[in-house]
Amino acid sequence: MVQENNNLPVEGEKNLVEMSISDTSQFVTFHYGKHFFGLPIDDVIEINKALDITPVPMAPEYVSGVVNLRGQILTAIDLAKRIGLSAKDFKVSEKKELHNVIMGNREEPVSLLVEEIGDVMSIPKDKISPPPDMIEGINLKYVDQVCKLESRLLIILDSKSLEQAENNKNQGN
Amino acid sequence: MGMEDDILKDFLAESKENLELLDQQFVELEEDPENEELIKSIFRTIHTIKGTSGFFGFTTLEGIAHFAEDILSKLRDGLVKVNEDITTVLLQSVDYIKAILAELEATGKEPVDTEYLDFIVDLRNFAEKIAKEAGVKDEQKEKGETEKEEASEQKEAKEIDKKEEENGEDKKEEERLKKEQDETKQTESKDSIKKKDDKKPSSKPVRKAPPTTAHLTESHVRIDVHLLDQLMTLAGELVLSRNRLTQLANQLNDPEFLTANQRMSLVVTELQERIMKTRMQPIGNVFNKFPRIVRDLAKAAEKKVQLRIEGAETELDRSIIESIKDPLTHMVRNSIDHGIESPDIRVQKQKPPVGTLVMKAYHEGGQVIIEIVDDGAGIDPNKIRQKAVEKGLLTEEQAEALSEREALMLIFQPGFSTAEKVTNISGRGVGMDVVKTNIEKLGGTIELNSEKDVGTTIKIKIPLTLAIIPALIITSGGQRYAIPQVNLVELVHLNPKLVERDVQKIGNSEFYRLRGEILPLVRLRKVLGFQEDEEEKNSSEGMNIVVLNAGGHLFGLVVDSISDSEEIVVKPLGSHLKHIPIFAGTTLMGDGKVALILDVVGITSSATAGEEGMKETTIVTGKDGEEDHQFLLLCTIGPNEYFALPLALVNRLDKIKASDIEYVGGKEVVQYRGHSMPIIRLENYLPISPLPEQDEYHLIVFHMNEKDIAFMVSEIDDSLDLAIDVEEGTFKQEGILGSAIIKERTTLFLDVYQIISMHDPDFFIQDDVTGIETARILLAEDSTFYRNLLSSYLTGAGYEVLEAEDGAKAWELFQTEHIDLVITDIEMPKMNGFDLTRKIRNESNNKDVPIIAVTSLSGEENRQKGLEAGVDDYQAKLDRDQVLSSVATLLKEKSLANAA
Repeated sequence: MVQENNNLPVEGEKNLVEMSISDTSQFVTFHYGKHFFGLPIDDVIEINKALDITPVPMAPEYVSGVVNLRGQILTAIDLAKRIGLSAKDFKVSEKKELHNVIMGNREEPVSLLVEEIGDVMSIPKDKISPPPDMIEGINLKYVDQVCKLESRLLIILDSKSLEQAENNKNQGN
Repeated sequence: MGMEDDILKDFLAESKENLELLDQQFVELEEDPENEELIKSIFRTIHTIKGTSGFFGFTTLEGIAHFAEDILSKLRDGLVKVNEDITTVLLQSVDYIKAILAELEATGKEPVDTEYLDFIVDLRNFAEKIAKEAGVKDEQKEKGETEKEEASEQKEAKEIDKKEEENGEDKKEEERLKKEQDETKQTESKDSIKKKDDKKPSSKPVRKAPPTTAHLTESHVRIDVHLLDQLMTLAGELVLSRNRLTQLANQLNDPEFLTANQRMSLVVTELQERIMKTRMQPIGNVFNKFPRIVRDLAKAAEKKVQLRIEGAETELDRSIIESIKDPLTHMVRNSIDHGIESPDIRVQKQKPPVGTLVMKAYHEGGQVIIEIVDDGAGIDPNKIRQKAVEKGLLTEEQAEALSEREALMLIFQPGFSTAEKVTNISGRGVGMDVVKTNIEKLGGTIELNSEKDVGTTIKIKIPLTLAIIPALIITSGGQRYAIPQVNLVELVHLNPKLVERDVQKIGNSEFYRLRGEILPLVRLRKVLGFQEDEEEKNSSEGMNIVVLNAGGHLFGLVVDSISDSEEIVVKPLGSHLKHIPIFAGTTLMGDGKVALILDVVGITSSATAGEEGMKETTIVTGKDGEEDHQFLLLCTIGPNEYFALPLALVNRLDKIKASDIEYVGGKEVVQYRGHSMPIIRLENYLPISPLPEQDEYHLIVFHMNEKDIAFMVSEIDDSLDLAIDVEEGTFKQEGILGSAIIKERTTLFLDVYQIISMHDPDFFIQDDVTGIETARILLAEDSTFYRNLLSSYLTGAGYEVLEAEDGAKAWELFQTEHIDLVITDIEMPKMNGFDLTRKIRNESNNKDVPIIAVTSLSGEENRQKGLEAGVDDYQAKLDRDQVLSSVATLLKEKSLANAA
């Protein structure tokens, strides 16, 4: 069962079928800059390659704007800005379109903007560990767990804190 | 009638559900006879049925429910224990009720069958039996009570009266019921032979089963609101898809495809409309809760109140209906608690002892208006002022400075309650502010009018639906935004020349002179946080101004470009973005892209907040429609002299270098736009310290009588929107209208006209005015400031002016003096300008006197009202040239008419 640990999308997909569900967890993976991220598959509603983003002035910095997903208007959150990646950690040219990972609860999902969509990976539960004390350039508040793959670290994000609005308590109502 | 049908439908649907529940509850009750909650719940259901059937006049149904309720009340009070007999009888009652309901649904009438009446009789006997059983236990209790009552009889004669009344009513009801039964029996006996065939009861023995099996067909179902919202969203999306398909169809130009698409279009439109319709509900759903509320409140407050409901069928989006219930309740409470007087006081005031409360709803211009009108004591502005001072909300001076309307608006301030004592109904210090906030959250506005001893009217305007609204699409910073049409007043496009001429920059605020009025400008780009780099762009492309109304306060929003007006579907912003005050939501445009909806009120507050940082510039906003509000220009001479003058009089502000000042004929002039313009040093005419030497001076330029003239001052300080209430006593002298404390400094109000006249007595002489003999003008104006100002320029123009500080005083003067022309303010205490005009037109012996109404605001509504009242002309107070030319024209017309 070692081969699951590689992060090549194509193979990951093949293995998905073979895996027994009880001792593995499935993650939707994606890239942003040099980092490799994952979200538990249950937290992801769908993947959408490119949606038009309407910028919202005066919005919190991590909000890139709003997108229209079949009539439902979602807040688009830039993953890099949200988790505190500094500009040197990712080099996304301005023109490049980011992809949308639609996630969160179905009442009010959000669109998480990522640079590149990876694959769905099945990972044995015993390979998953709590995050280290520090991951360079990332606010650990948003990291739930990590998984050491052969070549790199899969950072499993905490969808709750990602979608949680911060300024709501003092300014809402 | 349609309304009643709807209520009947609702009643049937609701009763059906409740009855299904009842069967189960009775069974539970048998197992758990002590369960009070259960008994109460059953009691409520039966009680509702009784009440509603009474309302519709379904006597049989009411009878059954009545006696069943009797039995239940004994159970509820613990006087009788549940036993099988009781449950059986009650279950039978339920079955009969179901049967009647089924009949009602089918025919809209109660079934006519002796069987029901027999059952009522049986039920009644049973109820009496239960009552007797209960009586044994009750007797001791009652005895105690009677003794107590006797003891306090003299003191509380009132209460006993009431009890007797109630008893009397009960008896009456019984009698009526018996009578009705008898009557029905008689008619029944004739009809029954025919009828019995077509409606055979399933079984004859009364106690066993009801005549028809309770088979209730469902014509109503309850649907999760969430589901409706989703449907609405999908319908919106369907519309978008349809639009795209239509585009394609037009491109392909295939006739068959086009026809098919057209058909689909129709269906989609209809579908959308129907789904919208599911969200609409009559406001009666809320209103009908009020008879009860009013009754209870009136009783608690020992007042007599009659409630009248009008327009209950007016439809509104359900989400709005939900949200207005609490505010309405609160306002009704206020009306009863604070407004309507107790009967004896009302009699003293020569009003009928029973107060009237009217709740009215109607559609007007795409909005729903709800009015709550009482004929109570009204709100006393002085009492409010006093309260505000007591509560430390205002200082005494501030409170005094408030106009009546402003004082009334104070009740919407947080922590304000005028109830003399805190009652359990209202007066807990929370309330009207919450009401206002809630209404504003719905995109609505609230207005309060009150006249002492006549009553109070609260007018709420709310949008018909929050889901789909008409909106204006504009562009700013390359993005489209939607502005709700309700806030829109007008659109103005200025070419670069006009921008140069009419847009004024003071400090960091900009103003536009819209038909003589000062309109503060807000740049949307700035509000949205974009860089301000378009100063030059303005000059090349001009300026687009969207004039908006934010709760009675007008302002101009400067946008890049203005597109179409569209019906938009409002969608909320997500939780990350909800807190941004300038946005009210989002919407989808025809091309599938998202546009943000601007929150007009939010923009004004955010614009004001943004300016707080730049000190000295405060635009006090939100004083709704107050008549005496004016933008003032504040300026200083030297370090210690503060002056104010109405911004509307000012044509331009400019700066000159000291070296530019020339002396011509002993007077100072400056080259200005190709002319030589006289400049005035105020210290030459006012007892103030002289203007210190500066390299650069500020000029306040006036353009009057086709000429330019300017005041020279040290600094232009600020512009301020506030109610002008000046003290004239302390500083009454030539050239000064009075003084007021502005920003904690004693500020003198300059009499611009007089100062100019002092400088150049010939300045205002107009060629065409000379030759007209001195006319006498009656000036009715309550604000000292405006009275002095108007009087000053009228006298300056050579007229004789009689001043009156209100309409009543003016009317007195009018009757005793010879008057050639009347100039009247509109809003005045005692008698307003319209009433004065009507009085003059209808009752005086000088009916044809020309009348000019003056106002600091021009509203089409007022103008119309004025013309109806018989006003000849309508002018802005501060527009001296217009007022004078109007006076001259009217006097000329009159003298011509007299000559003829």
